[in-house]
Amino acid sequence: MTLDPYNAFLHREEAEGDWRVGVKDVIDVAGMPTTAASRILDRVPERDAECVARLRGAGARIVGKLNTHEFAFGALTNSRHFGPARNPWDLERTTGGSSGGSGAAVAAGLVDLALGTDTAGSIRIPAAFCGVTGHRPSSGLVPSEGVVPVAWTLDAVGPLARTAEDCRRALEIMAGRSLETRAPRRIGILTRLFEEAEPEVAAACEEASRTLPGDHEPVELPLHDEISTITQLVMLPEAADAHLAWLRTRLADYGPDVRARLLAGLLLPSTAYLTGRRARSWARSLWERELGGFDLLVAPAMPIVAPRLDAIPDEYRLLIMPYNSPAALLGLPVTVVPCGFVDGLPVGLALMGRIGEDGLTLAAAHDFQQATDWHERTPVDGAGTEVLYTTDTAE
Amino acid sequence: MGSESSPLRQLREAAAAQGVHPTDEDLEGVRDFLDRILPVLAEIEERVPPEAAP
Repeated sequence: MTLDPYNAFLHREEAEGDWRVGVKDVIDVAGMPTTAASRILDRVPERDAECVARLRGAGARIVGKLNTHEFAFGALTNSRHFGPARNPWDLERTTGGSSGGSGAAVAAGLVDLALGTDTAGSIRIPAAFCGVTGHRPSSGLVPSEGVVPVAWTLDAVGPLARTAEDCRRALEIMAGRSLETRAPRRIGILTRLFEEAEPEVAAACEEASRTLPGDHEPVELPLHDEISTITQLVMLPEAADAHLAWLRTRLADYGPDVRARLLAGLLLPSTAYLTGRRARSWARSLWERELGGFDLLVAPAMPIVAPRLDAIPDEYRLLIMPYNSPAALLGLPVTVVPCGFVDGLPVGLALMGRIGEDGLTLAAAHDFQQATDWHERTPVDGAGTEVLYTTDTAE
Repeated sequence: MGSESSPLRQLREAAAAQGVHPTDEDLEGVRDFLDRILPVLAEIEERVPPEAAP
């Protein structure tokens, strides 16, 4: 039995009052089960995760736990134990993941704010596929206490909401400080990520990027062809280490895809992790040298729109990794904003900043949303149960 | 076991040394993944400047 038409919630409580907040089910909420959409983890913590405690202290009403890819270690939200989250724009399509329940709950209006986590795209992918605003914070900005880890040096907790301003409000509370705001002046357009996206997606993002004020220049990602592999060299061994005790005792209880990735991390050569860490330092220095002068880097958040649940492309992960790996590997902030539709499905634009400049990407996203209304489009009525229109009729 | 390919046996032994006991199907998946990633890893190893510290 699902708790909503999108299978967004894994646990749900009464939701009266303002500022309804849903929490991805890898983040502890006192008195609510944490399962990570797995058959392995089932604990009811006594304490909130630090980020949840800070939101609750600022008036948030925690209304439940949200579906995720098993252990937040995948990009689909299709746990074989809890079933797939369904995209409110088309119930036969994926929300993306791993914070897929978070994306669906915000898109459907079931919550005002959702918390997600992003190791290698897990906030940005569902934000793009579900047509909501999502922000992957700079590394270390939001405390990770009480959050089930995927990969310690890549993980980030962040918000998904209708607007960039809503994301900013939540992020400042979770970070415990205000974020500096200034308008970007020099904007790099990551041309190869546009060229490698589906043409209709690229066209929507190109049109949206033209509305961003500032000096635009075409740029290339350093190590474009290698950065996804480097990210995996860091992520997979860290994840295997985080799961080692369960790999020894509960191996058969993982879903096949997560088990495969964890075993890959376990069995990579022992030098691979250090090579990945060294390559990250190399990438960071190249990035600083070649792109350090840009205030903002812009690209499609995803190269495709949400695929059908029964037709996920075989190359899905390979296709999306170049779009998500750079910020993950280098700990950069990214705000994803809805910027158009293709075949009635949302398209997202990624605004990436320098580390620590979360306020700048959020300010650029806010300015974009002041000039456009893509973020106001919604697939459902206020109760989150009825599909009212698609963009074909909305426009 | 006698006809088992050497890479699969090595992977099984490496997993067992860490207290993990995957199935043959699991190990075949890991072998396929390693076959894809190890050549790229070798290229990256060659290109990372010596001064790049972890």
